[in-house]
Amino acid sequence: MSHTVLVCDDAIFMRTMISDILAQAGFEVVGEAETGREAVDRYRKLKPDLVTMDIVMPDMGGIDAVREICKEDPDAKILMCSAMGQQALVVEAIQAGAKDFVVKPFQPSRVLEAVQRVLG
Amino acid sequence: MDLSRYAALFQTESREHLGSCAQALLEWERDLKATEPVVTVFRGMHTFKGMAAAMGFNHLTELAHRTETLLDVVRSDPGSASRELLDLLFRIVDALEAGVPDAVAGGDGKLDFTPLLDELTNASAASAPTGSWAIPVREDRPAPAAGGGRLVRVVIRSGTAMRGARAMLALRKAEGLGKVNTIRPPASTFEQEDFDGKLSFRFEGRASDASLIAAVQSAGDVASVQVGEETAVEEPGRKVERRRQIRIDLRRLDALMNQVGELVVAKGRLSELASVSDSPDLKAVAARIQRVTSEMHGEIVQARMTPVWQVFDRFPRMVRDLSRQLNKRVAFEVEGEENEMDRAILDEIGDPLIHLLRNAVDHGIESPAERKKRNKPAEGRILLSAMRDRTSVAIRVKDDGQGIDRQKVLAKAVKEGHVPSGTTTLTDDQLLRVLGRPGFSTARAVTDVSGRGVGMDAVLSKVRALGGSVELETAAGEGSTFTMRLPLTLAIVRALLARVGDERYAVPLAGVAETVEFNPVLVASLEGKEAFVLRQELLPTVRLRERLGVIGSRPVGKAPTIILQVGDRRCALVVDALVGQQEIVVEPFDAPKGMLPIFTGATILGDGVPALIVDPAALV
Repeated sequence: MSHTVLVCDDAIFMRTMISDILAQAGFEVVGEAETGREAVDRYRKLKPDLVTMDIVMPDMGGIDAVREICKEDPDAKILMCSAMGQQALVVEAIQAGAKDFVVKPFQPSRVLEAVQRVLG
Repeated sequence: MDLSRYAALFQTESREHLGSCAQALLEWERDLKATEPVVTVFRGMHTFKGMAAAMGFNHLTELAHRTETLLDVVRSDPGSASRELLDLLFRIVDALEAGVPDAVAGGDGKLDFTPLLDELTNASAASAPTGSWAIPVREDRPAPAAGGGRLVRVVIRSGTAMRGARAMLALRKAEGLGKVNTIRPPASTFEQEDFDGKLSFRFEGRASDASLIAAVQSAGDVASVQVGEETAVEEPGRKVERRRQIRIDLRRLDALMNQVGELVVAKGRLSELASVSDSPDLKAVAARIQRVTSEMHGEIVQARMTPVWQVFDRFPRMVRDLSRQLNKRVAFEVEGEENEMDRAILDEIGDPLIHLLRNAVDHGIESPAERKKRNKPAEGRILLSAMRDRTSVAIRVKDDGQGIDRQKVLAKAVKEGHVPSGTTTLTDDQLLRVLGRPGFSTARAVTDVSGRGVGMDAVLSKVRALGGSVELETAAGEGSTFTMRLPLTLAIVRALLARVGDERYAVPLAGVAETVEFNPVLVASLEGKEAFVLRQELLPTVRLRERLGVIGSRPVGKAPTIILQVGDRRCALVVDALVGQQEIVVEPFDAPKGMLPIFTGATILGDGVPALIVDPAALV
């Protein structure tokens, strides 16, 4: 059975791109979220194997969403998606419980490496 | 095996290890319960013992060994250290330091440490555990509070994005297996974009080395993971930085520097010949030699650069001893000790600094009772700092003591005729100049420490001979700050060549702010003296021709003017003509009596003609 993924990003473009990369590698994208709050809600319902999380999103940012999700499920496997220059935020996200991160622009191989590490 | 070959190395390395012992003792003294300094002293003593034993210096070895044994007991019970014990340790380190050169000279057999060894015996008896501790507990691990556990060094692959975030991930992975502490650099630096990807931490837990390494590597982009021994390992960071050097006999560098100096002079001559030649090949070769020579000069200067801690390191001990002797309480801080400057300059500033620091402890900082009366913390502060900019290093001694008594200095200066009798106030600058008069001292009593009246003038002349300047800021009740501004390097400097009459003079570019045309229309008067108006600023004017007493009339019309700047002080120096810029090799000299005190040295110009070097600090 393939791994299930929840993709969280406020940009449709980014969600599409990440979904494509993961789908091509055999993952099943079971849901998408545009805001941090949506991400938390969908995580509860879908219990995906993996979450990709944007840092900056409206209505609860990615870091707060990580915190919320990890409070309920410390083993949640969350991969942060960040842009250059957000190092401090990524560090914060890792402290909040994120398991790995990728930096835009995404190279499919780097994204999949990170996913493999997270799913261990 | 011929041990004499290692003698020099033994001597320098011993100095390093004993120096770090002394340093750690100071830290220990500040906090008797601290555990880290104990470990450092123990480690330093242990290393020294090993080296001395290898050299066959039995007396040094015995003293170090006995000290180490005592420290071993103390470090298992850090609270047991007493002031007496620390005093003894200080004296032992001193004795070892003094004994090293003797031993190297073949006199180890004559070293007599019996009194110290006796004291050690007594101290050991005193700190021997009693009661349920009757059997000395020897632990092979250092005290956990000193950062126990295995030392793990991690390097994040270079070229990857967000190495700091990656480092944080690596830490989290290790935390999944056990306790992580003593993170270096502190985790907060991981948030900075310029974090270099190197970190270390101590790990306490049952996980095997292999699983620990695997966990850290699972963070991704990890170039290397090293797990060290359980025992105390050299702390990374500053200490490691300090060792990344090779030893070269300074005389070699000096010789090389002199050769480059010759080369610079020859190159100057070659450039001149090339400039009047028709041969494009000669011009090309001259240009190339010009480039290579400057690069070579730069490299050698760089090789001579030495971090200032090499001189600063001995001061904490000195200030401590001094403040005890004078019954003062002083917190001594050092900043910017990693800044580098030319070894030749660094070697010269020790004495001026000792003088300034002694003054600060003796005359600056008040007694604890006096400070209390003035609502100041009983403990005074002295800050020694080094700050570097493009062409100079500013070394500062700042105290929060009583400041210099302007009125007292003024009264004495008037009485001795250093200033006109009507003078009612002294600026900081004037104050410094008066204090710098040979033999001037207001110290009430000549103490063992300072106040013999040979001091500030020695400081000023030493710093000026090095091509630097001294500034003073002082406020009654708030303290004094002395700033020595020194060039980064001696020997070869870029200079502006100016002509007056038939002679050329060199003005070091470090003291030149700009050059302008002297416009006689823009002359005003400043305190009765000629002043030049430059963009609404009144600059005191020095006409070099008149100052030198050159006979003959000066060229008519506008004259080129060099605006000199040292610190915040500026002045306008009027010359006959500007000749150009050149790298000059500075030959310091002791000015003959009666010579104008405005020159720091002499140089040979490219065409072989000597020229005097103007001292900007003496003119502004």
